Amino acid sequence: MSGDDWPKPFPRPADDETSDSDAGAPGVFAPSSDPETGPSAFSVAGVTSESPDPPPATTTTGVTLKPPDPPAAGAAVQHFGTGGPHAPRPPLRRRISPLSWIGGALLGIWLVAMPLTSSVTELRQNTQIVVMVLAVLGVNIATGYGGMISLGHGVFVAVGSFAAAYAVDDLRLPWAVSIIAGAAFAGALGALVGLPALRIKGIHLALVTLGLAIVFQPLAKRFPAFSGGVSGRAVGAELVPPEWFGTSRWAEGLYHYLICLAVVITAMWLTHNIINSRPGRAMRALRDNDTAAAVYGVNLVAARVNTFAVSASLAGLAGALHIVLVPFASQESYPFSESLVLYATAVLGGLGSLWGSVLGVAIREVFSWLGALFENVGGLGPLSQFLSLLDEEQFVFGVLLIALTFVFPRGLIGMFTRRTGERAPRFRRNRTRA
Amino acid sequence: MNWNFEILPDFIFNGLRDGAVYAAAALALVLIFKATTLINFATGELAMLGAFFVYVLNIEQGLWLWLSIAIAMLISAGIGAAVERALVRPFDPADHLPVVLITLGLFLIINAVAGDIWNYQVRRVNDPFGQFPSWVPNGSELKTSSEGTIACLTNSEGQLAEVAPGTSGAEMCEMVGRTFFEVIGARLHYRTIGTWIALALALIALAIILGKTKAGLAFRAVSSNTESARLVGVNTGRTLGFGWALASVFGTLSAALVAPALGGVNPNMMLTILIYALAGAALGGLDSLGGAVIGGLAVGLVKSVLVSWFGVVVLGQAYFSILQLAMAFLLILIVLLFRPAGLFGTRRIERV
Repeated sequence: MSGDDWPKPFPRPADDETSDSDAGAPGVFAPSSDPETGPSAFSVAGVTSESPDPPPATTTTGVTLKPPDPPAAGAAVQHFGTGGPHAPRPPLRRRISPLSWIGGALLGIWLVAMPLTSSVTELRQNTQIVVMVLAVLGVNIATGYGGMISLGHGVFVAVGSFAAAYAVDDLRLPWAVSIIAGAAFAGALGALVGLPALRIKGIHLALVTLGLAIVFQPLAKRFPAFSGGVSGRAVGAELVPPEWFGTSRWAEGLYHYLICLAVVITAMWLTHNIINSRPGRAMRALRDNDTAAAVYGVNLVAARVNTFAVSASLAGLAGALHIVLVPFASQESYPFSESLVLYATAVLGGLGSLWGSVLGVAIREVFSWLGALFENVGGLGPLSQFLSLLDEEQFVFGVLLIALTFVFPRGLIGMFTRRTGERAPRFRRNRTRA
Repeated sequence: MNWNFEILPDFIFNGLRDGAVYAAAALALVLIFKATTLINFATGELAMLGAFFVYVLNIEQGLWLWLSIAIAMLISAGIGAAVERALVRPFDPADHLPVVLITLGLFLIINAVAGDIWNYQVRRVNDPFGQFPSWVPNGSELKTSSEGTIACLTNSEGQLAEVAPGTSGAEMCEMVGRTFFEVIGARLHYRTIGTWIALALALIALAIILGKTKAGLAFRAVSSNTESARLVGVNTGRTLGFGWALASVFGTLSAALVAPALGGVNPNMMLTILIYALAGAALGGLDSLGGAVIGGLAVGLVKSVLVSWFGVVVLGQAYFSILQLAMAFLLILIVLLFRPAGLFGTRRIERV
């Protein structure tokens, strides 16, 4: 791939891109932009920013600084299995696999049927699940689209909920303003974290954000005015539905559900638009190769800070909606492992895909449901103890993370978006060591 | 401002003791980073597992403590090498994302499994450098506060709580028995000296292994240039496995040394230590072994002297003690921002 023409900070073995090699493996360290997630960032951001239909040669991976020579383009085309080495690529069109239709239909049915069949408590829990999509989407923006590993997004969720609680309780602002304030505050903090990300990259950034996740809890205990200290803060204000909506507990739950769903859908739509606009293309450009992005005129500072701000404000929005549902915010809910699980959920669903985040959350819930099934299987001796492990979200996610790294680096969404006959992409394997 | 210089040596000794633990953990990180340019996020959890092996062998099986530590080190070495072979080697080391995912996955798995087997209580372990005196009943636990001072003693039934309510950690140590020398008016605990000696011995052993043995030579060759090492016939895969094994040994050493000071072992014991160790490794330069030792000691010293002594004693601000962790985080951030190679690391020159 042309991304490999650039010197890397670390020694790397030469790539032998034979036909059985994992061509199309991630460029720098994020899954490369593939035909499904939209055309190459560079072709659009740089060369053909005015043209809506990029030329075929640049549609496979990100970076093409020099004109691609035929063999390279050929290898790429061969990989996607759409023709011989020199066959012209068919015009780019989204092909939706049948699985996606089924998945979408299931999601739609669930969204409608769930509130009608749930009790008040279940409705509340399920609404929290819907809200979680935003937090995972936040991780996805930073890591999947921006290429910056963030292991600390639980912090932004927490900050969003504290800020919204502060706004609605202490400042007595209306709910709508408070929720936006929560998202904005988290976004500002995210921009702050984005600044060091200008210099700290790759695995070092992972280190710093992991540090942020671990440091947050003890720090939050120290600022009781904001976070309620050790015990957390109760939120006094309630979001009461209008009279005509009904006054029962269930009607209130439904009202919250509809509001959260509306916010989530709006946020996803906005995110979709951001990703496909100029800042979004800049985001993906610097994920694939920041030097090349700079050459093409992407403002690296603005792009990185933007990415982190957008991503953190999504997480903050999730936190702010959370206190609508549960009038209580505490640092207890955001241990470092929550951040890691958020990250794992994003990876699980699929980085670099909006629907991947939705899928990730869905899978997370399926597994927690499965785990709960196995939780109380007694009388099997050591086997019961192992089965009770399956109820541990941490354990399940750990295993899934490792398994996916080997099998599905693009996340489970890769199953839905892959075209027929196309090989599943893999992380680049180690070919040099015995 | 209350410049209480009399107690400063106490803080220096404590800082250097903690620093020795961080140095061992930082070495575990650096040994892996040096060879592969990867950060093993599961370092702390692998070390925690090692400490639990010591607990099982020594407390549950009744083996001699030092023998338990030695066996635990061997088991961890095996686990480290196995992890490298099975989970890390299949991937291209130049691509960070898969290995970050793998080590994070390990982090979550080991933490959950340890929590499932041993649950999240603190379990008392024997101190290699000084046992409890005989009047403390069997099965007692030393509960410690976050700063590591002893708060109270309880046995397994929760009786005997607070042998002496309101006593400070230092007074409690007096009651438990004299566990220190007096040096320039300060307490130099046996545990402190023991930790230093243990670290020094481990460093000498590491120096001999890396400097005098064939495997050590291979390791140095691979970490300086993987490709060339392979060309001259070094089995790079096996050598990296050896590096992971060494790293796990150092991780276990750090966990075994720190466990008594934390009051015992529990699945989350290495979380904060991982942050300090990362700070130490970053400060020393992520690919410098000597730098890791100096960085670890420096982090311990800064934490103790700058935060605990200057912040809490001199400025009289109790909340400084909470800021220790934030200090480590800031240190990581500042070092990576302004001097990514650390004090002794190799500067990478990126040609564009």
